[in-house]
Amino acid sequence: MQSEGKPVIQSAERFTPWQRILLTVVACSATTLLATPLLGHLDLANIVMLFLLTVLLIAVSLGRSAAVLAAVLSVLLFDIFFVPPRFSLAVSNIQYLVTFAVMLATALIVGQLAAGLKQKAREAQVREQRTQALYEVARQLAGTLALEQVIDIARQFIRYQLNADAAILLPEDADSTATQAGLSFRVEPHLALVARQSGQLVRDSGTAGSGYASLYLPLRASMRIRGVLAVALPADSLDLPAENLALLEALASLVAIAIERLHYVDVAHATQLDMVSERLRSSILSALSHDLRTPLTALVGLADSLFLIKPPLPAPALETAQAMHEQAARLAGLVGNLLDMARLNAGNVTLRREWQPLEEVIGASIKLLGNALDAHPVRVTLPADLPLLEFDAVLIERVFCNLLENAAKYAPAGTDVEIVASQLADHVEIRVCDHGQGFPAGNLSALFEMFARGQSASGKPGTGLGLAICRAIVEAHGGEISAANALEGGACIRFTLPKGVPPVLEEESA
Amino acid sequence: MNAPSPKVLLIEDEKQIRRFVRVAVEEEGCQVSEAETMAQGLIDAGLRKPDLLILDLGLPDGNGIDLIRDLRGWSDVPVLILSARSQENDKIDALDAGADDYLTKPFSVGELRARVRALLRRRSRSGEAAVPIVEFGNVAVDLSRRVVLRAGAEVHLTPIEYRLLATLLGHPGKVLTQRNLLREIWGPSYIESSHYLRVYVGHLRQKLEDDPTQPRHFLTETGVGYRFQP
Repeated sequence: MQSEGKPVIQSAERFTPWQRILLTVVACSATTLLATPLLGHLDLANIVMLFLLTVLLIAVSLGRSAAVLAAVLSVLLFDIFFVPPRFSLAVSNIQYLVTFAVMLATALIVGQLAAGLKQKAREAQVREQRTQALYEVARQLAGTLALEQVIDIARQFIRYQLNADAAILLPEDADSTATQAGLSFRVEPHLALVARQSGQLVRDSGTAGSGYASLYLPLRASMRIRGVLAVALPADSLDLPAENLALLEALASLVAIAIERLHYVDVAHATQLDMVSERLRSSILSALSHDLRTPLTALVGLADSLFLIKPPLPAPALETAQAMHEQAARLAGLVGNLLDMARLNAGNVTLRREWQPLEEVIGASIKLLGNALDAHPVRVTLPADLPLLEFDAVLIERVFCNLLENAAKYAPAGTDVEIVASQLADHVEIRVCDHGQGFPAGNLSALFEMFARGQSASGKPGTGLGLAICRAIVEAHGGEISAANALEGGACIRFTLPKGVPPVLEEESA
Repeated sequence: MNAPSPKVLLIEDEKQIRRFVRVAVEEEGCQVSEAETMAQGLIDAGLRKPDLLILDLGLPDGNGIDLIRDLRGWSDVPVLILSARSQENDKIDALDAGADDYLTKPFSVGELRARVRALLRRRSRSGEAAVPIVEFGNVAVDLSRRVVLRAGAEVHLTPIEYRLLATLLGHPGKVLTQRNLLREIWGPSYIESSHYLRVYVGHLRQKLEDDPTQPRHFLTETGVGYRFQP
């Protein structure tokens, strides 16, 4: 096994295979020349040692295949130049065959071991260098503040370590990265998607080398897969060794963690912005509400105070005063509706939910409307076993007020209004029905749009906000609201509130 | 009425609102003095010893709730709050701090006069010995004997129902906050368990009101608390 394409200094890599063969031949020949003068003085066994030493040195410096060549060459040279009869492959004494066999075996084993050790050392060095590089990348990624930095660091690392190009594909721009600027290769979006969804490494052996990325690694962080790392290996090293794959996987998880960290930095930042803008919005709304209500309060009160002037004003003046009072009060109602709608529309309405009987809020709504319901008696029918419901009393009171007000406005005087509740599986359904003409035919759900008016030509005062507010409130409670005409005539608004699990009421120890 | 006319202190920063409130309160036979700021209002309350304080919660120089807390340290003068509808929490805090009643802006002169009358009546009555028998509608409650009669027939109340009834009857016309009632009747650990209060008020209505769904005496102040209306 040879590791190629790495910028690590490796002795075996300095020479081409041909150079290595040449060097091996030269080394063996040199040993032969050196040993020839010693033939008379040294035992043949010691000359074998010289050859073994040569094989060892070649194994260490030129690698495994050179060691094998050296072992065979040494045995041949020893046979030809040293074993009688010299200058021939023939052997006079049969026992030299044993010498050759042992020599060859020893040379091969020594060569293998030496080359193996050398390679192990080299691999350890490479591993250490990579660990160092990964450590460095981790340190750099920990300091990143923007996604672009993360991508740059990852690409640089892959270019330096594997001499390959890479891209990071994020789910948000899965399509656009296919044409990412400055990328020397193309990615197959489909394979990237497979890698992201399966969480497994995907290899593209089909199009590899032809300008497409060949590896897709999922960026798996603790919460979820954040994207895909696409690597385009150079055409001459498409077969990636396991250790390089492990390196890429380590890098992928470092990048994933960095991306996730940046994501949460963004989330925290956005949350903070939301909070600030929410606070701003509610302070603007309450300032607006105060500024609008103050003159309206004065207007209502001042119109009223005309009745207290002594001596009393003539009747027409008092009628005008009464009309002023009514108009100002109506304006106050409209302003209230608009502000409520603004508050509900702004989202994140904080509901002050409490468990309570429905009966109470219905009673409070009827009481609040007071004289407005004089001509429309309200009949309330609630099942005796209606459970406590969890809702914001102020808001649900608003729903009932708006619905009852509508009934009083549109149904003829003298007809009554019915409020009926019934239990369903996991909801309580409440119907508020009048005995008027009912809604005009058409799209009834449009009634709940803002500024929609059922009978636009009827000339009745209103803004068309009442039902929109009802819908916003009911939906905020997790319920539904709809309009229908009753079979026996009359408009019916039906809404639901979820039942939930009411708290236990401890029995009173009497 | 031969008694000296009651003194009312009005703390409100808006001139036009002060103007019609003054006219309305004077119509009730009261002497009205005005203050524009919280600081001035507190000084006037100490100097003039009013019989009723009408306080706008949105004063420019501070929170009306602090004024009530301060005031309650040395005076039990009735306090009527004027507040906007969006200030539910402020209302509750003000009532908890010791305010007696509130009016939501905009309000009519009629409502204002009725509240002022009720508060002054209670003020003048507070000196008298407690009446052992309270009557409302067709119900009579004998607080000394713990007997509740409805149309002449005795009504059985559980101990908690009776305690709740007695507490409400003890403050006729006054808005009692949920927190207040829960602490008084169930104890401090029940302050968050508002459903107890609601269920027991429901029981009282079932037993003592003609139409429990449209009560006339045990009134709900939505989002705030309850009021007993004799």
